[in-house]
This record gives sequence, structure tokens and C-alpha cells, in this order.
Amino acid sequence: MADLFDRFAPLMAQRDALLGDGGANPFQVKMDEVLSQTEAMIEGRKTILVGTNNYLGLTFAPEALQAARAALDACGTGTTGSRVANGTYSGHQDLETALCDFFGKDHAMVFSTGFLANLGVLSTLMGADDYILMDADCHASIYDGVRGSQAQIIRFKHNDAADLDKRLARLADKPGNKLIVIEGIYSMLGDKAPLKEFVAVKKKYENVYLLSDEAHSLGVLGRYGRGLPEEAGCEDDVDFIVGTFSKSVGTVGGFCVSNHPKFDTLRLVCRAYVFTASLPPSVVASAAVNLKLIQRGGALRTRLMRNAAQLHAGLSGLGLKIASDVSPVVAVVAPDPQVAVQFWRGLIANGVYVNLALPPATPFGFSLLRASLCAAHTEQQLDAVIAVFAKVAAEIGLIAPAKRKRIAAG
Amino acid sequence: MSATTAADPSAQTLASLIDILKPFNKTGANLKAETSFTEDLNFDSLVVMEFVAVVEDVFDISIPLNILPDVATVRDLAVAIEKIVGESRP
Repeated sequence: MADLFDRFAPLMAQRDALLGDGGANPFQVKMDEVLSQTEAMIEGRKTILVGTNNYLGLTFAPEALQAARAALDACGTGTTGSRVANGTYSGHQDLETALCDFFGKDHAMVFSTGFLANLGVLSTLMGADDYILMDADCHASIYDGVRGSQAQIIRFKHNDAADLDKRLARLADKPGNKLIVIEGIYSMLGDKAPLKEFVAVKKKYENVYLLSDEAHSLGVLGRYGRGLPEEAGCEDDVDFIVGTFSKSVGTVGGFCVSNHPKFDTLRLVCRAYVFTASLPPSVVASAAVNLKLIQRGGALRTRLMRNAAQLHAGLSGLGLKIASDVSPVVAVVAPDPQVAVQFWRGLIANGVYVNLALPPATPFGFSLLRASLCAAHTEQQLDAVIAVFAKVAAEIGLIAPAKRKRIAAG
Repeated sequence: MSATTAADPSAQTLASLIDILKPFNKTGANLKAETSFTEDLNFDSLVVMEFVAVVEDVFDISIPLNILPDVATVRDLAVAIEKIVGESRP
């Protein structure tokens, strides 16, 4: 009889071939002590963190810490139940009101994680006669969400409005509703959706809705941090915004906001909302405070984008291949998984933490050293990060020593 | 989508599919109607997605992800494609 886990044997063999030599394991990094938003002790070394998705550095915002402590003392460590079955705390409703205010939308629902928000909304929103058209590069939570839906699931080419148009045209005479699913900023490469083009395509057809996952763009894009729809000037054309509190909001949790008059129906039919415990009150309190800091966080966004520009210019100046234009995600493309692991190990040994991302979790089969910037990074920290990238890239033969010398001299 | 209940796909659809499959044939399998994507060609989920995207382009159709679990062989896919093409005609 085959063992339960035998079907994963090829994957585990692949992992052993790549990481089984006893060197540092990129998927088991332990931060023994968190020193700040941008530094931690790893293996006894003070390490610069450039892979946290903590875009605005709000994890230690004094106002949020204070609100979280007060909620912890007042309401305890957890709600121990679902809002539907076990009751709602007032803080959860306050957070939903704060989300409505932040986005200027009529309705908001808070989920226990961003993953659950996608899972819940996407598995529930569309019925058996409907169609979901999703960008091929969407996050795993979107793939898992649509898999739970009764609707027909169609993928269109990443960021390709013409391909979406073609697929909607084929469905034009089908009676069902259609839902387009995209992301504001894609997590692996940091590239943005051409939202205006997608909206133009959406408007050509009847009964088409648009959902955007703003996980990596909330707090990052737009004058008030409302994400790509704000930046692109088409907030009224995005029917549903899904997001997370675990990146720029600096805690954990997920949400969906919408102007649809019957949106609250989801509170009864969305299993990922009904059948799971709600967020701890301290988390909810810090999220509400940080949303306000994000709204007036123009200076943080300016620092974040300045940091993104510095790292992008520094790394591409070394001759490294960066997967996208300037963005809070700077993904360096390595030629193959072996080199990527070697590169990652060199960086961590020199006190720089980035994410290692390998296929199939990456588009184009890319092997990536994925860095994400924080508004709290200093220019000196990023200079140090760039110097470490230069040293390691030269050591493993990814860039020519001549280029390295020129950079060092400059 | 079972090959025993559905009508046989046309030789032309099968031939086009086999043509599209050639660059994806990393195992050197003999490409025919009975060829299995997972067993003979060792397709993982990622390769399936790339392959489906090419098939969609060539046949100018959308293949819903929902039908993929029922598609095991080249023949199954050919039958599914002809069904989708048939439905899209007015």
C-alpha cells in the first residue's frame, strides 16, 4: 500500500536536490529577535530585512501599539468564535466603518486573513451559470477561491486587456454574470495591472463586474493610499476590492469592500466568514488605527517609493536583471533555482534577508531573489544591501568583476 | 468527458493537438489519441496551464479550468475542444 505522502515524493526529491546539502534553508528562516521593522537577529547576525511586505513600516506605530494594548486589556486575547455564531465585538464593526470611510464605499466585511477573504468571496459571489475571468498570474488564494465556485473559470493572459476582451466577446451572448478578477500589484514581480484598459473592456459588455485584490497596493498607491483604483482614477468602476491587513496595514486579517446594495448578504452565505473565528480585538484595534495613518501617510509613500527607486537603480546598476519597473517589490531574476539558492545563501550569510521564490510559485518559471521595500529603510541600509548584492553576485559569477570594480569605485 | 461516451473527435482536431504538444513532449512519449498528459508526458499543473494557453490561442476558444480534472488524454481534450467550438457557433 502506498504511503499517504508518496505522491509528494518527486517534489521532496527536488527539494532535497536543491537544499539537502545542509546549507541555510530559505524556507526555514528563524528570526530570533525582531529589532525593528527593518532589522532582526538571524543566526546570531544583525540582518537587514528586505523581504517583509511591511511597506509602510507600521508594525511598530506607537498609536497602533497603544490601541492594541488597550483592546487587549479591555477585551482579552481572542474572541473565541465566529461573529455569526458567537457574537460581534464592537471593535470589529468599528473597523468595518473605518474601511467604508477609508475607501468611500457603502459596505465592508472583515475576514480573518486576506487568504480567507479571497477564498470566501470568490467561492460565493458567482453561481453555476456565471463566469469568472481571472488574470493568469493571480495569487494562490484566488485560484483556491475560484476552485470552490460553481461558475465557469476562465484565465486570461497576464495584464493583457486584449486577451480579456477576446474572451468576454466569446461569452457576450451567454446570459450569466461575469466577474473579472485582477490584482493591483502582483506580489512576485511587483508589476501593476493596466486597470484603465481593463475598465474600458469591462464597459463594452453587459453584466460584467470587476474585483481587484489590492493586497500589495493598499497603502502604497494613490494619494490617500487606496491602491491602484485610486491611482488610476477609476474607483467607481471597481465593484469589489479585496485586501489584507498583513502588509501595509502591519497586522493580520482581510477584507472586502463594495457599493453593491446587497453586499451584506455575504455575511450569511460566505462560509469562510461564517465558520471561522473572528480576529483578536487587539489586531482589529491596530488595523483601524493604521488605516488612518495610511490615509494621511503621504510622507511614508514618498519614502517608500524613494527607497524603491534607490534599490532598483542600485541593483540594475550592478548588471542584475530586475523583473519589473520601479516598484515596492524588486525581484532579481536568477538564471536557475540552484544559482538562486546560492545567491540567497550568500545574502543571508552577509546579513541581508530577501525572499527566495521558485517555480511553480513564480511567473515565467523565474527563480527570484524577491526584495520588498519599507518606508522605514534608511538610505544607508539600502546602500549596504546593494553592496552585499554586488559582493555575492560577483562571488557566484553572476556579474563580471570589472563591473563590480567600477561600481565599487563609483 | 469520458472517451467511451463522447463522440470520437475528428482526425483534424487530434492532429492539431498533437502538433501543439510536440514542444511540450519532454519524455519522448509516442503522441497519439490515448497519450495521457500526466502519466505519459509527466505534465505538472504549471505545464498544463502553459499548454492550455497555447491550445486556446490555436483554436481561438476559452477552456474553463473546471473541465481540466476530467481531461486525462489527448482524446479527452480533443472532445472537449470540439464541444466548446460547437457551443460557440450561433
